[in-house]
Amino acid sequence: MAIVLLILVMWIGREPMHRIVRQTFFFLGYMFMRWGTSLLEHGRNARAVTNEKIASHRADELQDRMLHLEEKMGKRTEQLARETGPILKKLDKATHELATSANAISDINLEDAAERAFRAALPSMESSRGLTKVEKNIAQNTARTMNERLAPLRPALITIRNESPRLKEVAEKLVKIEHEFNKNASDVNKAFTEFEEIVRSEDRRKIASRASIVVPWLIAVLITAIALAGVFLNFFLIERPMAEIVGEGARIGGIGLPTFAAVIVIFLEFVTGVILMDAAGFTRLIPAFHSMSAAGRRVMLVVSFCFLALFSVMEMTLSIVREQIIEQQRETDRLAAQIIGPDLIERAQPPAEGAAPAADAPASTAPQRANVFGLELSTFAQLILAGVIPWLLAAAALPLETIIRNSVFILSIFASFALIFLAFICKTISAVFKNVGVFVLAVYDFIIFLPLYIQRRVQARGAGADEPPTPRQKEPRQKGRKSSSDDDDAFMLSDPAPEKSPNRDKQRQPEQKLEKAS
Amino acid sequence: MIRRLALAAAALSLTALAACGLVTSTNRSVFFVFDVSGTYVKSVPDAASLANLTVAKLLPGDWVGASQISACSFSEKEIILQRQLPTTPSLASQTKRELFEEFKAYAAQVKSAKYTDIRGALAQASAELKNRPESERFIVLFSDMVGDYSKACDTSHFELDLKGIHVIAANVIKSDPGDPKKYFDLLAEWEATVVAAGGKWSLVSSPDQLPSLVAGLQ
Repeated sequence: MAIVLLILVMWIGREPMHRIVRQTFFFLGYMFMRWGTSLLEHGRNARAVTNEKIASHRADELQDRMLHLEEKMGKRTEQLARETGPILKKLDKATHELATSANAISDINLEDAAERAFRAALPSMESSRGLTKVEKNIAQNTARTMNERLAPLRPALITIRNESPRLKEVAEKLVKIEHEFNKNASDVNKAFTEFEEIVRSEDRRKIASRASIVVPWLIAVLITAIALAGVFLNFFLIERPMAEIVGEGARIGGIGLPTFAAVIVIFLEFVTGVILMDAAGFTRLIPAFHSMSAAGRRVMLVVSFCFLALFSVMEMTLSIVREQIIEQQRETDRLAAQIIGPDLIERAQPPAEGAAPAADAPASTAPQRANVFGLELSTFAQLILAGVIPWLLAAAALPLETIIRNSVFILSIFASFALIFLAFICKTISAVFKNVGVFVLAVYDFIIFLPLYIQRRVQARGAGADEPPTPRQKEPRQKGRKSSSDDDDAFMLSDPAPEKSPNRDKQRQPEQKLEKAS
Repeated sequence: MIRRLALAAAALSLTALAACGLVTSTNRSVFFVFDVSGTYVKSVPDAASLANLTVAKLLPGDWVGASQISACSFSEKEIILQRQLPTTPSLASQTKRELFEEFKAYAAQVKSAKYTDIRGALAQASAELKNRPESERFIVLFSDMVGDYSKACDTSHFELDLKGIHVIAANVIKSDPGDPKKYFDLLAEWEATVVAAGGKWSLVSSPDQLPSLVAGLQ
């Protein structure tokens, strides 16, 4: 009975309950959908901005490369003028000599020479009597005459022989220079093509994906991690002797004063290193250096170099002080550990007059340790380490630029992906809310399906009794309940709003329109 | 000269930071009290050795004082030495060695006293430590803890004020081996007295415990 009553109550309250469910679930779904859309848009925008930044960074890199190549080519051109001058002179001289020799060769008519030789031999032929002698004479005369005629040719031939290898050498040099030039030109062309593509291409994502970010970042992180290990080592090297400079016994923010001072010194060394690298033009971390003149940058380079050298010397000194402190502490501990027995008390008494002073050299029995330049090996090693570490620390500034710049890119990409992922979550939640709302409505209608069925039958009958349905009215009714329930259930906020029916439909189908309006 | 300049710069910086409350002191003041009454005077060299071991572990900037328990201990005459270790390690090591010599010299020439005014010595040490700016304060008591007060200096009913002071009894010899209960009762009584006076009580039995306890090396 109670169930029947409940079903009846639910049937009566169907309209307001449907409205509440729709407003609750569909509104939440709509809200999440809006959030999702907004986040997706922001994520895509962020990605586009990052792509643009990466592309412009790549363009900057290429521009730098082109400038560098251009500078290199300019220098090479200046050098080339000096190199090619003598080569061309040599070439000119060799060509001239070759031309002279060629002229000399071309001036000689061998047939004429042979004929002349034969004619010259005729008078002697007439004077001679034997034929063999005649032949012999002809041959001798011909050979002599030919020899005389060819005599001017010999220097020309020697010149050709000498100049040929030189020419070959010069030609090889010129080919090499041409190759170098071609390579540089090809590099410049390649960089320029890529630069043009970056500047003009619409597909920023494609351009950005070409630029490698993670690999240089990982390499830079690795190098910095190694440098940080050096910092750690350096810290322990200078922490104790710093007490000799700043004193001990106070704490700043919970950190001992020598420790604090050692950290500050390391920071100063690092900053000096950053300035040195920036002034030298290896990095571009400090914007002020970009606008500084070359002379100003040179001054900063020298100053930072001197500071770093001073830091290096200071650390070397501190490493020696460290050893001294350790030695003193060891000696103090040794003295403290001496038990004050009767013998020591006797020694502590003022010595009697004439008595020899007590020998207090137990430490002298310590074995002599190996040393370099008067320093123990360990101290010498510390000295080298202390001298080298500030410079290594300065070198750590080199990958810092890559870390900072690429970290920004990586974080930007990560943030854009996070936004897109959040958008996906929001849209999923939105879909869940909508479907849950639809499901709740379906369950509600299922519970009260009996009174609903009766209601619809009664309404259909009443409508049929009042007026015979026109074919236009019949159609939706023939589709029946499915169409009606679909109208209820398939209310998706992402769908376009249902078209407004003409006023005449509104009058004819009041129930259906009422549901849609809700 | 450079060191002085650096120290001056450091001092100035510290003053500025201290004004902001960022700088705190880690120094400690340690007051050694030697019992020289008839039963304990032979143990003074051992006590001086322990004091040396403790001084060796102190940090630069720490303060060291020493006095003895005699018939009338609450007196400046009983104070043996008062020294502050320099803040730089090398100078501190030098001062520590001088302190070793002073303790050795004291152990060599110590004279026995007729009475044992422990409370007076504690009051004297407490008064000295109260004037010190160090954050941690210790009184190291080398005694058998058996009080024996003269009529002239009877401080047995004197109310001690040991707030913020850590009293460490070291090298406490057993004056009556046949009655352990008396020994433990005596120590319990002293612990109650020190705690009632606002102090902290510790008893060390082995030589390595004392430096660790005072220098905070544990």
